[in-house]
Amino acid sequence: MRKTVFCLLLALSLLVGCRTSPPEETSRDKSAVTIVMPPDSEPEAGFDPVFGWGAGEHAHEPLIQSTLTVTNPDLTIGYDLAASMEASGDGLTWTVRIREEVEFTDGTALTAADVAFTYNAARDACSVTDLTMLDRAEAVDDTTVVFHMTRPFSVWPYTMATLGIVPKDTYDPAVYGANPVGSGRYILKQWDRGQQVILEANSGYYGEQPKMKRVNILFMEESAALLAVQAGRADLAYTSAAYCDRTVDGFSLLSVRTVDNRGVNLPLPEFTADNNIRQAINMGIDRQAMIDNVLNGYGAPAYSVCDNMPWYNPVLAEVEFDRERAGALLDEAGWLPGEDGIREMWSFGRAELTIHYPAGDFLRQALAAELSNQLRELGIQADPKGVDWETIYGEAWRTPTIWGWGAHTPMDMYGIYHSGNMYGYSNSALDAWMDEALACTDLELSYTLWQKAQEEIAKDTLFVWLVNVDHLYWVRDGLHVAEQKLHPHGHGWSIVNNVDQWSWK
Amino acid sequence: MKNRRKSTLLLVIFAALALCLVALAGALMASGAGIADFTRKNLPPGWGHLFGTDWMGRDMLGRTLAGLSLSIRIGALTALLSGGLSLALGTACAVFGGWVDGCISWIVDLVMGIPHILLIILISVACGRGFWGVTLGVVLSHWTSLARLVREETLQLWQAPYIRMARQLGASQGEVFRKHLAPHLFPQFLTGVILQFPHAILHEASVTFLGFGLSPEQPAIGVILSESMGYLATGRWWLALFPGLSLVLVTALFAGVGERMRLLLAPASAQE
Repeated sequence: MRKTVFCLLLALSLLVGCRTSPPEETSRDKSAVTIVMPPDSEPEAGFDPVFGWGAGEHAHEPLIQSTLTVTNPDLTIGYDLAASMEASGDGLTWTVRIREEVEFTDGTALTAADVAFTYNAARDACSVTDLTMLDRAEAVDDTTVVFHMTRPFSVWPYTMATLGIVPKDTYDPAVYGANPVGSGRYILKQWDRGQQVILEANSGYYGEQPKMKRVNILFMEESAALLAVQAGRADLAYTSAAYCDRTVDGFSLLSVRTVDNRGVNLPLPEFTADNNIRQAINMGIDRQAMIDNVLNGYGAPAYSVCDNMPWYNPVLAEVEFDRERAGALLDEAGWLPGEDGIREMWSFGRAELTIHYPAGDFLRQALAAELSNQLRELGIQADPKGVDWETIYGEAWRTPTIWGWGAHTPMDMYGIYHSGNMYGYSNSALDAWMDEALACTDLELSYTLWQKAQEEIAKDTLFVWLVNVDHLYWVRDGLHVAEQKLHPHGHGWSIVNNVDQWSWK
Repeated sequence: MKNRRKSTLLLVIFAALALCLVALAGALMASGAGIADFTRKNLPPGWGHLFGTDWMGRDMLGRTLAGLSLSIRIGALTALLSGGLSLALGTACAVFGGWVDGCISWIVDLVMGIPHILLIILISVACGRGFWGVTLGVVLSHWTSLARLVREETLQLWQAPYIRMARQLGASQGEVFRKHLAPHLFPQFLTGVILQFPHAILHEASVTFLGFGLSPEQPAIGVILSESMGYLATGRWWLALFPGLSLVLVTALFAGVGERMRLLLAPASAQE
């Protein structure tokens, strides 16, 4: 009996212990910040740009290395290492002059030779950075590098914004990932695989000195991240809509707008072969309801793969939600509601679809369920099914799938819509505009050509874009997070793109 | 002793009824259990939803029942299949002997040498996961111990004087099996099969929990439990507690029935 009472008391004290507020900080280091990221943000190949650090689907600034260009807050192009850039009239050479007196953290000077070496090495490594359009990079003198292209590629400045420059003389692919030497704002102080990364300000940095001298990054699952915040062990931690109904003393919720979209492809071999039906579905989806239901309001309606990017055409957003008109369009197309409310056409059968989502992705599962509910209102039966990525890619041409895209380059749109895509979709007018946009030598002009291409997309629906998912973070009161550009797909490193400008009040 | 017979009979009837009810209710609710309704998400247990609802507004009572029903059906199927397999192979060993015995015994050793869960994962993934992946995985990994039991039992009986006598008097193998072997084997076999149930159910749930079994839109206990892991930190205890308890209850019920049947049917303890 006494034992039971003791156990009960012990359990009670544990419970009470959980409820106490995080210990008051005594003296906070005003130049350090601790950030929690998802475990898959930890780069497997280390911090080596040649093997994909900073690039790929979840692109972000490499921090440890400098890039030639950067993306501005409005996602136009600015300069980092580059002082000027110029494309030849045929678009087949890019000449970039780089700034002088930049040093790697090992004291050697960064010259055009290092730039050329990095690009050639990354091209040969064939990692996530797509450099198939680069024939070779050549250092003409110490400050001029010339890129010889295999085909015109107007969005080259966006590629240059993701590839960090490594030192030619000391680079060794075997050890560089764990011991990177760069010229960026930070140096890698410590990396405990599977646990944390510690970055320290690079005192020899050529630009403005980082305000945050020390950045600790921890890798944790989402629920562990919440516990870390509750225990006061982190200053900023990622979270998602499923967790945001909690409140944590001393922390507030930061919601960052993104181009991290979710959308569903409508397959061409199914009853959605008719563009009128695809258009009807596009206007019959209540995106705001989806945001309220699934994202607890933390999102924005999506109408394209590149909402609010400089190359985005708002004509795509001119889709009024109108379920009645959508129904009328479906009626016109010959699909009339049957006895159970599901539409039928005698020669085709019932309006039925399966919606794939990657098993284990709760957000996409919920979106698929909500989409299925809304499609039922339209008289279309859609059954969500969680499968692995192999199945998803293999069957994308005939099975609608909840996709997530959104990148800081128009190549996303090219990959989805240009002939040769995995959906078996081909549209010659659209191809022509996009090819012209790539062949163009003026970046500003190319934006308008990408926008022209989207006019074709508006006429012929392949994807129904659903939502842009806000990226949510717990932020300790007093921490000022500098203004964020629209985050691309991926809820990891994007937030620390400008960690050097963060400050404590 | 009369008491044990009576109480066992009662328990068996009660358990069978309860399990049938769960299986039936679950099967009836299966189609509705997966439907998301975002107007009622994250509700704690209450009168409208006894087990609460999850983050997609699915009723957890319906999902739990549907999951248990699926588990019971998979359990029944696997117990029957693996029981049949072990009976066939076990008697084949004993009756034919020689290289047949050696061969089958070697396979038994091989399968028993690999941890169950690992073998089930391998088979399930190889068969494309889903219902048949899990079922085949459990069947192919669970027949061995029963097969070995059947083999030894049969071997022993085959040498028993009355059976040798019967064979010398000209009874055919089939006749011997039917008249003399089957009545002896049956109790052992029946308890073996019933005791396969809890194994099968738990293994189905754990393989699914680990992500190698049933797919996430199916109402399976393993799916429910693995989903709930992500929400424990946010205080949604009902997502894991009730489904987990129900799984333990169902398994305990099967195990209890099997144990009682064994005591009752086994000659050594039947008269206690």
